[in-house]
Amino acid sequence: MLAVEYFEVECPEPVGAEYYKQITNDVLLDHNLLKVIEKLHIYLDPKVPIFVAVGILKPITTVVKVGDIANVNPQEGKMTLVITEETYLASMLRIFWERFGKDRVEQPDRFTVVLYNVPVEAKEIEAIVIGNPSESLNKDLIYAFRQIAPEGFRLRSERFYQGKFSFVSSENTLVENIDELVKEKFALMGETP
Amino acid sequence: MTLVPVTYKGGIYQHDIVIDLIEDLGGYVVQKHVLAQEVVLQCFVPRDDIELIREISRPIFGEVTDSPLVGTEIAIVSMSLEIHHLPHPSCDIAEYVRRIGAKSNMVSLARGPGKRITGLNDEERDVINEHDIAVYLMGNFETCIEHKMPILLRGIEVPVVVCGGPDKETLIKIIDPPVEGYVGGVGRFMRRTKEADQLDKLDEIIAEITRVLEKKREDVSKDPLSVAPARLMNLIKERVPAILEVTSPTPLTVQMAGLRVKLPYDTFAPELRRMEIEDGITLGDVAEIEPSRMRDYILVKVLPFSETNTVI
Repeated sequence: MLAVEYFEVECPEPVGAEYYKQITNDVLLDHNLLKVIEKLHIYLDPKVPIFVAVGILKPITTVVKVGDIANVNPQEGKMTLVITEETYLASMLRIFWERFGKDRVEQPDRFTVVLYNVPVEAKEIEAIVIGNPSESLNKDLIYAFRQIAPEGFRLRSERFYQGKFSFVSSENTLVENIDELVKEKFALMGETP
Repeated sequence: MTLVPVTYKGGIYQHDIVIDLIEDLGGYVVQKHVLAQEVVLQCFVPRDDIELIREISRPIFGEVTDSPLVGTEIAIVSMSLEIHHLPHPSCDIAEYVRRIGAKSNMVSLARGPGKRITGLNDEERDVINEHDIAVYLMGNFETCIEHKMPILLRGIEVPVVVCGGPDKETLIKIIDPPVEGYVGGVGRFMRRTKEADQLDKLDEIIAEITRVLEKKREDVSKDPLSVAPARLMNLIKERVPAILEVTSPTPLTVQMAGLRVKLPYDTFAPELRRMEIEDGITLGDVAEIEPSRMRDYILVKVLPFSETNTVI
């Protein structure tokens, strides 16, 4: 957890806390989410039972452009794009199809896209925005926390607002004062919800 | 003659010599895997003849190792088939016991997770009871294990080994009624077991399973079975040709005191009952043939000497 400024797991059972620290680290690492979290506090009590995760996200301002994932080689009458990273390939193709029409976009193999007779410069192509990682971030985080929380804890309430998030889950109906609990846990990190 | 479980590993070239030798010595090959150029035989061989097999297989680079779990069927009881428990640790453990010869089945509970809702239904209970041993994979919290174990052990008659996050002493203290084996420090984790300390933990689980099974084996040997399950396996293969058509990896699964036959019960049970073993003694005389709760398989439970007065 090098990238995270504050990371604590609080639990009445010290052995359980140690295991959940490991689980949290593994899951966030697997989902590539460690780099977006700045602070994270997890509170677990199997006796209640309740699982609370509160945290602060790092601001993500970068968007992904064609130039980031492909090399654009202009040739006569066509432009060949050599793809280096496939993650945003589908959304890139969708944007090309909308803008230039399907007949001008061809993908002969997995890592090559060819544009025929497009009325734009290579630089313009490189600047087309094809993805915004922050859009799916909340969804990814909820998915990750569902994996971290004990499996029986199926009733949950999550809140993501302006770079702060809280995820509360329990096996029983969530008690009404979870807001106070969340506030308390935020205070431990020196923050307010 | 005491038969001991061993694994033979060697090249495919001339491995039939070894199979013939084992059969001539009065042993049984329980499972045979051919993996590319390699053959793995899981077999029962007479204790005194292991050296002879080693000697004969030396020129063809065969290796004979002890594998105490050959001929056992183990239930790995996972609390659910969700990503929380799979593939780690449930699959890791199921796969590890398979490597040393056991046949492991994963039993996942419909209401395993959660403290309040946890439960064991009659089908799960019966399926677990059809195995030689059940390995329960629990979570990381003492509170949950303490609360859930009495419910999950209701009606379980086979020996149980419990794996959980807290250390062994804590597990012994909190689990009531007591079970046969405990392994601490193996709760829920979300990473592959590949580091040395994690593999040590897996070895610890194996050691505990082996210890519990050895005890069961001892109990069985005090009142010996009327016929050895491994011998029955070979007989069924000869007499019931339909078994050769079954595509499942182990059409006949050998257990410590029985056999699972993966054929439909209604069609094949009468045929199995009538099957003659030796001198007019049929399988129906020395074993109970029951429908298994696993699909529509047949479960053959070999009766001990005290009930049949015959040993063949």
